[in-house]
Amino acid sequence: MRVVIAEDNVLLSSGLELLLRSKGLEVVAVATDARSFLAAVDAHHPDVTIVDVRLPPSFRDEGIRAALQARRDHPGLPVLVLSQYVEVVYAATLLAAPNGIGYLLKDRVSRVDEFVDALNRVASGGTALDPEVVARLLTHRSDPVAALTRREREILALMAEGHDNTTIASRLVITDNAVHKHIGNIFSKLGLAPTDSGHRRVLAVLAYLNTQS
Amino acid sequence: MGQRWVRTRRATVYLFTTLGTAVMTVLVLPLLWHPALAAPWARWHRDRAARLRGQPVRSHPILWRWSLRWLPAQVAIGLPAGVLAVLCVGNLLTAVVVIPAWWMFPAGEPPHLFSEVAVTSWGTALVVGLAQLASMAAVAYWVLPLLAALHARVTLAALAPSAAEKLTERVAVLTRTRTGVLEAHGAELRRIERDLHDGTQARLVAIAMRLAVARQALPDGAGAVADLLREAHEGTEEAMTELREVIRTMYPPILADHGLAGALRMVAGRGGIPATVDLGDLGPVPAAVEAVAYFAVTEALTNVAKHSHASGATVAVRRTGDLLSIEVRDDGIGGADERRGTGLTGINRRVQALDGTLTVASPIGGPTEILVELPCG
Repeated sequence: MRVVIAEDNVLLSSGLELLLRSKGLEVVAVATDARSFLAAVDAHHPDVTIVDVRLPPSFRDEGIRAALQARRDHPGLPVLVLSQYVEVVYAATLLAAPNGIGYLLKDRVSRVDEFVDALNRVASGGTALDPEVVARLLTHRSDPVAALTRREREILALMAEGHDNTTIASRLVITDNAVHKHIGNIFSKLGLAPTDSGHRRVLAVLAYLNTQS
Repeated sequence: MGQRWVRTRRATVYLFTTLGTAVMTVLVLPLLWHPALAAPWARWHRDRAARLRGQPVRSHPILWRWSLRWLPAQVAIGLPAGVLAVLCVGNLLTAVVVIPAWWMFPAGEPPHLFSEVAVTSWGTALVVGLAQLASMAAVAYWVLPLLAALHARVTLAALAPSAAEKLTERVAVLTRTRTGVLEAHGAELRRIERDLHDGTQARLVAIAMRLAVARQALPDGAGAVADLLREAHEGTEEAMTELREVIRTMYPPILADHGLAGALRMVAGRGGIPATVDLGDLGPVPAAVEAVAYFAVTEALTNVAKHSHASGATVAVRRTGDLLSIEVRDDGIGGADERRGTGLTGINRRVQALDGTLTVASPIGGPTEILVELPCG
């Protein structure tokens, strides 16, 4: 898999390269600002891109804007946005078009297997949302979520992060069938129709969390 | 003994000068209504009085309105005291001259002592003369220093700020320095946030990544080394989490990215409750105030989402002079209690730290209104 990275901090970009190479991924370009990132995407047509939120010159949310621009230029381009802090608003902005998008804390990178897993999910058109974003979204709407059992809430959180039923089952050490049943309960308690697609489920969760019933 | 006489001499000189300035004060009174003349005139008197009293000379400015109490006091005490000093010294000198030289005066006009006693013989000259000398010396020795001290004390008191004026002045100074402190503090907050974010945090992430790669590269069964690496890796991750939390509560990164207005617009769009944001022209807001304002709005909206059963909320932020007011209002069930809700307690603590106020109106049945007012300067 070919990766383009937009990261201005050399320590971090070299660390990312090291880490991705150790997992057999190919880093074809490392851009240090938004403009060179867009140029690198044009030149290399990568399978997935990794973008830092804060990029020169102002170190605000250039990364988010660069990611959105790249996806306008190349519809469906998978982008995994990395940040040293998570803002729910940025997540909402990115998820406006949810195919192949990810938003993770940089901390997650050092959990190599999970990170590569998330990267793969994004590359194949899925979603990867940081657990902290999910947790914050969940605390924002406590009443109906309170109606869920603890297990159902765990499953909802994992769903919101973008995991499929099999992964959720193995994480919680339960059967696929049990997960399926729990999800059915969650959707019926939240009044949502169940679907199979990972990112649609995230959307359903987000849509529910963001709008008042 | 010698010191007492020095005091007497200084008091006498002081009172003579006082007589002169008191007379002058009466003569040029109309001119002294002008602050440009009144202030130096008063200052000169204050410094002179302070020197007599052996006190440090103060430098705080003299207010024009103090003249209203100082000028009458200067004349009312200075004139009689000065006249008494002149009379005393005059009579003393008379006695000194008359005692040895009474016989030199023309026979028809003998000198007088105590104003009335005509001196015509050595007997009267010595007895009455020495009596006058002693009594005048006694007055000069004991009474004149007291009068001078009285005048000096009254002058200093009339030309010193009252407790209320001192307080007003102090508040003005504190307000001025506080603005400076807030601005400096804000610049520091931004700098520290950036340093932690771009420096420390980035380094921690880089270390964690390398530790992760090292752990992966380590063959199975590496035992103690694997354990140490795992501990180092997990410790680094904890440090990252803690540092992120420190930065978030100190100066939320979204403020650095978008400013207060931008951050508030974004925060209103993300909660569980639809919130409309109404922002006036906020002008420059110190970073510390921004952080508290942002914290107050996010906490208030979280409270709304959690407890109010509201269908909507409005956030209004206004700047009036140096005051930033933040109002969060919902259409929920009310009953929010500042003493119970930890959210409100947290807001109150941070608001008070900046000299601001929190007002909560939340009758049972609603609606809830939270008003935070923060001074920006």
